[in-house]
Amino acid sequence: MAEATASLGPSASGGLYLRTRRWLTHAAIFGTLILAWEIGTRTELLDPLFYPAPSKIITSFWRIYVTQGNIWKHLYVSIGLVLAGFAAGSILGITLGSLVGLNPLVRRFIKPYVIVLEATPRIAVAPLLIAALGFGAQSKIAIIMLVCFFAPFINTLSGVVNVNEEKLELFKSLGASKMQILKKLVLPEAVPVIMAGERLALTAALSGVLVAEFIQRDQGIGALILTYTRNLNMASAFACIFTLTIIGFAIFKGMELMDRYIAFWSHEDGMTRVSQNRNVRWAKQGWAR
Amino acid sequence: MKTPFAGHALSLTRLLPHLALFGTLILAWEIAVRTGLIQSIMVPKPSTIFAAIVELYFVKGTIWYHFFVTLTEAVAGFIIGAAIAIALAVGSSLSDAFRRYVSPYAVVLNVTPGIALTPVIIAWFGFGMGSKIALAAVISFFPIFVNTLTGLTQTDTDREELFRSIGASRVQIFTRLRVPAALPLLFAGLKIGLTTALIGAVVAEFAQATEGVGVLMSRFSFQLNMGASIASLLSMTLIGLILFYSMEFLDDRMVFWRREERREAVSRKRARAWKRRG
Repeated sequence: MAEATASLGPSASGGLYLRTRRWLTHAAIFGTLILAWEIGTRTELLDPLFYPAPSKIITSFWRIYVTQGNIWKHLYVSIGLVLAGFAAGSILGITLGSLVGLNPLVRRFIKPYVIVLEATPRIAVAPLLIAALGFGAQSKIAIIMLVCFFAPFINTLSGVVNVNEEKLELFKSLGASKMQILKKLVLPEAVPVIMAGERLALTAALSGVLVAEFIQRDQGIGALILTYTRNLNMASAFACIFTLTIIGFAIFKGMELMDRYIAFWSHEDGMTRVSQNRNVRWAKQGWAR
Repeated sequence: MKTPFAGHALSLTRLLPHLALFGTLILAWEIAVRTGLIQSIMVPKPSTIFAAIVELYFVKGTIWYHFFVTLTEAVAGFIIGAAIAIALAVGSSLSDAFRRYVSPYAVVLNVTPGIALTPVIIAWFGFGMGSKIALAAVISFFPIFVNTLTGLTQTDTDREELFRSIGASRVQIFTRLRVPAALPLLFAGLKIGLTTALIGAVVAEFAQATEGVGVLMSRFSFQLNMGASIASLLSMTLIGLILFYSMEFLDDRMVFWRREERREAVSRKRARAWKRRG
């Protein structure tokens, strides 16, 4: 599973003057777009029934969060489901991935099933799971779990399998035990890949909960979006969608932070931080060189 | 990077243990359901699924219409999404300013789960195929965009210097250096995009539609006709496989220099063509 990361963020280069000017241009473009949109809906060039004005969306934000405050309950339900399904799915994925990865025979026999599973849109199993497990949290968690399972599974698998041959040879020739190879060679190389899988899984979990709620239509943010759209209250629907943007952004940043702490050796700053800490600790223990 | 499953040549001796395992699994499943170890309402017997497959695909053939509807939606959405993504990525790679001002919106689009737009897109584009195509296009956009952009902006400075020193123009550097270097990543993005486009089409069908495999599946599921439901699910697997392998084929044709034997075949063909021309 290839995941590319381009440098999309604003570049940090350039002096203060240049950076301020760039931010101003960004703000100007954003402002112009919003203004054009607002004017477009006011003059009914865009049908305000289907394309809500930005001002309406902001009012809706205020209403669903503060005056009515009805979004909190749904948010709470959805986030709980996401976390539960993500935890279950990724634990299962990592466990199975490492079991399969460490055993060549199992790997060979499981290959066709993985190919079939990879080609099937996992989310399509949602109606089946609902029919089998009934309406309610149970089937929703099962759906999220299924959607979350695959990325950690395949990434753990390839992380464990892709051991550097030369390094492995070196470890063996130095007489490293199996446990030592696992701990000092396989894991350090696999963990960053596994973390990338976890990131994909958490993003997928958010989509999974939405699909589950679209089908069940009882509660949660997905059901809320559906209800608002059915009632043609598009401004509120957009307020919910932008809420999801914020959650998605938080997930993205949170996972990046976790990656920096857990797989610290794949980031420059994490490496210096930990090695400094270790130096201090070892110096205390009298290991100083 | 090595894939976790190193390729094995397909042969009968290799295939036999696989078939044996598959047969045993199916048999164990059948027995478990028949003896009531697994409830047949939740998990149907393999023989039931098989019967449903025969009926849906061969006897009545009802599935094919829905199959092609979903396939069309996914492919049309994918083509639209990919065209916009590649155009924006090329623009972004050519101009730093363009990239700077487009990227925040791309990031916002990336962190928003595209699936969340399903009801809104249905309200905008109606209950027909339009809304499914639109959702497929929206959610297949980002992986293609980011992969193309990464591919086009990663530069081998040595090679670029070589191109400059022999007097290559900017256009030549772009078409002869940047584009070929970007192709492998672009195809990786296209493969992810195809899968997500299929997801988009199916989810939109779940939400609101009258035709397509997604509709068929949810209808069968809610009738608790699990055999037929799984049979329809398999047709999605089939669509996924068809899409994935056709992209893989295209990848193999266009990025011919990645595999040794393909590279040699192409260079032989070119040598022959050049010789003929003198």
